[in-house]
Amino acid sequence: MVKTDTKIEEEIRAIFSGDTPWVTIVWDDPVNLMTYVTYVLMELFGFSKAKAHELMMKVHTEGKAVVSTGSREEMEHDVARLHEYGLWATLQRGDQAL
Amino acid sequence: MTSEGFKRHGSNSYIAEFAENEREILINLAEQIIELLAERIDHGHEDPLAAMVGITSHDSPPEDEVLHRLLPNAYQDQADSAEFRRYTESTLRNKKQAHAMAMRMYLKSAADGIIDLDHDGANAWLGAVNDIRLALGVRLNVQERTQDELELLAQDDPLRGVYIVYGWLGWLQEGLIEALMDER
Repeated sequence: MVKTDTKIEEEIRAIFSGDTPWVTIVWDDPVNLMTYVTYVLMELFGFSKAKAHELMMKVHTEGKAVVSTGSREEMEHDVARLHEYGLWATLQRGDQAL
Repeated sequence: MTSEGFKRHGSNSYIAEFAENEREILINLAEQIIELLAERIDHGHEDPLAAMVGITSHDSPPEDEVLHRLLPNAYQDQADSAEFRRYTESTLRNKKQAHAMAMRMYLKSAADGIIDLDHDGANAWLGAVNDIRLALGVRLNVQERTQDELELLAQDDPLRGVYIVYGWLGWLQEGLIEALMDER
């Protein structure tokens, strides 16, 4: 992905400030079936059925759950893959309030 | 609706049989998604050179509620979201269209209404069916309406038919996922 100066600046700042990790959040959605959310998490992240089910339940009961952590670029990649399968996902800095 | 849904056959084959009317409904729905996503491309009046490298003129979310749900924001922050959209939305649209086109192709080429998916085909099918359900969900306003309200839609309410198809697609999706998870 092409980067703008602000993005590069931001990343340089992140590196020098201890590289705060970013997070991918999946949000609850009334349409997506519970089994579908579990299956997509297994397929995209290689989670076990138990782990994927636990995350899905967290999304379902708490309205959201962090499903992956890493660099901003990695999280953008994860969000894009989740969007491809219709899950409602966003990314943000890990130290931001959820 | 008479189909019994998808069943697993062997290690990498998921088979369902559809009646002619079911096949027609599914093809029609897949085509609606393909067309809806294409509209977004047309309205963008994209710069062909930029489009070639995947950059679109779109940096704001679609005004159409269904398209917005299919192509959601990646950040809660508007500026970050707009930039991400400019560089990634066309890829996302292409992938969603590819899922719906794969589903349509399976249905169009099904001899005697029998669909035989491999694992990748099943994933494309699931993605396409889910996009259709997301689209119908917006039309049904499932965000605001409770399940009871939807169940109680009057016989002559045009949304009743939409709700029946929406429920049927969910059942179909669930069956395919169960067949896929069977092997784990």
